[in-house]
Amino acid sequence: MSDPRRALLLAASLLAQAALARAAGPDAATILRRADRAVLGEAAVYTLRMTVIRTGKSDRVVEMKGWKKGDEQGLVRYTAPAKERGTAYLRSGQNTWLFLPSAEKVVRVGARQNFGGGDFSNADIFRLSLIRDYDPTLAGEETMEGQETYKLELKAKDRSIAYDRVVYWVRTDGTFYPVRADYYTLAGKRLKSLVVSEVKPLGGRTRPTLLAMESRVDEGSRTLLQFLTIQDDVSLEDRLFSPGALERGE
Amino acid sequence: MTVAARDRAALLGAVLLVLAAGRPVTAQAPRQLELGIESFNYRSAETALNRDDVLGFDRYAGLLRAVLGWRETHGAFRAVFRGYVEQNYGTRQDELSWVARQAYAQYWWGDKLGVRLGKQRIAWGSGFAWNPTDRLEPAKNALNTTFEREGALGARLDWVPSARTSVVLVGAQTDANPRDLPVAATNVQRRAGAVRARVLVSNTDLALVLSAGKNQRSLVGFDVGRDLGGSLSLHAESSLYRGAEMWPPRDGELFFRIVVGGLRTSGTNAFVLEYFYNGEGYSATQFHRWLSGLDASWAAASDPALPPPAQQAALAAYAFGVSVPYSAGLGLRRQYLHASWTRGSPTSVWTGGVSSVVGLSDGGVALSPGVGFAPRGNVTLNLDGVLLLGPVDSEFRLRPLQGALQARLKVLF
Repeated sequence: MSDPRRALLLAASLLAQAALARAAGPDAATILRRADRAVLGEAAVYTLRMTVIRTGKSDRVVEMKGWKKGDEQGLVRYTAPAKERGTAYLRSGQNTWLFLPSAEKVVRVGARQNFGGGDFSNADIFRLSLIRDYDPTLAGEETMEGQETYKLELKAKDRSIAYDRVVYWVRTDGTFYPVRADYYTLAGKRLKSLVVSEVKPLGGRTRPTLLAMESRVDEGSRTLLQFLTIQDDVSLEDRLFSPGALERGE
Repeated sequence: MTVAARDRAALLGAVLLVLAAGRPVTAQAPRQLELGIESFNYRSAETALNRDDVLGFDRYAGLLRAVLGWRETHGAFRAVFRGYVEQNYGTRQDELSWVARQAYAQYWWGDKLGVRLGKQRIAWGSGFAWNPTDRLEPAKNALNTTFEREGALGARLDWVPSARTSVVLVGAQTDANPRDLPVAATNVQRRAGAVRARVLVSNTDLALVLSAGKNQRSLVGFDVGRDLGGSLSLHAESSLYRGAEMWPPRDGELFFRIVVGGLRTSGTNAFVLEYFYNGEGYSATQFHRWLSGLDASWAAASDPALPPPAQQAALAAYAFGVSVPYSAGLGLRRQYLHASWTRGSPTSVWTGGVSSVVGLSDGGVALSPGVGFAPRGNVTLNLDGVLLLGPVDSEFRLRPLQGALQARLKVLF
């Protein structure tokens, strides 16, 4: 085989590999990493409204202010209603604390505890990093909630993680916005489903602003998290996320 | 003017000064106001601690309070006042009085350093029913099922050098009286200083406490807390000190207290289980010796054959003996178990729960069922009962107040 033919074959091979790589798209870890930052940035201050919905009962609406830094640290303080004002949850690494203003006491609670009595767990609310807690694999692409999505299978890295398995759908259009997540037990029972929607400008960029968690165990139980304000890329000190600072109150 | 009245006047002055010195209230300044009514109704009984109703209770005695809470926050500065006007009834000295439960000013420099001055809760320690490392605040009334307690007059410095460490320094002055009982315990004023250093190591909270002062035993305390994964967390809080807080003083003896327990949450339910070992608590022999002493004192106090001075001395000895169970605030006996369950549906206006303390040393039980009603986001109504059960000569059944019904209405603005 002559040199020109060999060069042509080599060029064709390189082009084919590039085309295949483009067709394959990003790997599972990249998709998950990008999705982790789709709603809140690396460090953020935000306000949100949580609405707990139960069949045949009045909705319960709670407003709160939150701070987030990296994948390890999160703090949420209730601002309304008045009777719950001052209650705060702090997450740092694998640790979660609750501040009870009536007792002025900091209490340790588990990550699997339901947050504020709704359908989100503490781990969901702080959702500091799925890439940190789960091993992802790409299970294909499919249409979900009217969007073209990557379908990811997430397997918990250890038993301390809130859910043993998560199926996660992330938009393929380059935004990497999460669309939906189904949470499963080790035995394969689906516990909850999360739908992420209402993509709109907030805090200087476009992002999903509504998270709706629906229980698959208690029919009709839903909890909505609506982001009201978001400020990304703020400078936050680590000591803000310590039980010592939690005791200072709101 | 009595010492207590002077303290209250000084506190009121401090609060007014703090509020006056604060920057003008702006539209954005978060202000919280609370108005409430608290009613504590007790059923009295003639027991070994109240022979011939020497304490002078009616069949039903209690307190009625109007509560005011006020919190102003201006950036890093905060002023807090919580107090009440109270009317006793069914006691020998029914009177109208007012008490500042909390009255302090606080300032934080970032999240690194904070100072708090005034009457304040200390509220440290991982235990729920008992906190053997917190000996600065007034003793807790076991019949009051609420978390709220009266603060101690003091200065507190919080230093948070890093996210994993914090140090708290407190100097405080208080008396040993739980104010929500219509019976006075020993009126001993305590002055104490304490330091609590906390560190987070391998996902475990560790804290070391050192505390000492006037009319206050010097103690070394250790506190540990950790999640066990899922929704279970465990804690242990212990203290070691020389000399008893409760009579007799036993100055040379070393005593150990420890609370070991766990919190489990499941949905909207929370369960707490705790075991408390109170090293200075009376053994069965000491307990019966104390009861015999009470009986002997009472017999002498009511013996017409004795001269009046001897009767008076015996009556004073009896009154002192009666105050013993209230003087240390953590229990008369050695071993206790605390179990509680609370439930709060996120969308229901109702909450409920029951808490119990079991005296493992004598079989006595204090059972506290409660229900809460919150028709609006700023209104809460709580109704709690206290039932004292078990053997007649158990610690709880000996109390001159055999049961309680507490009602609390709170409106927040």
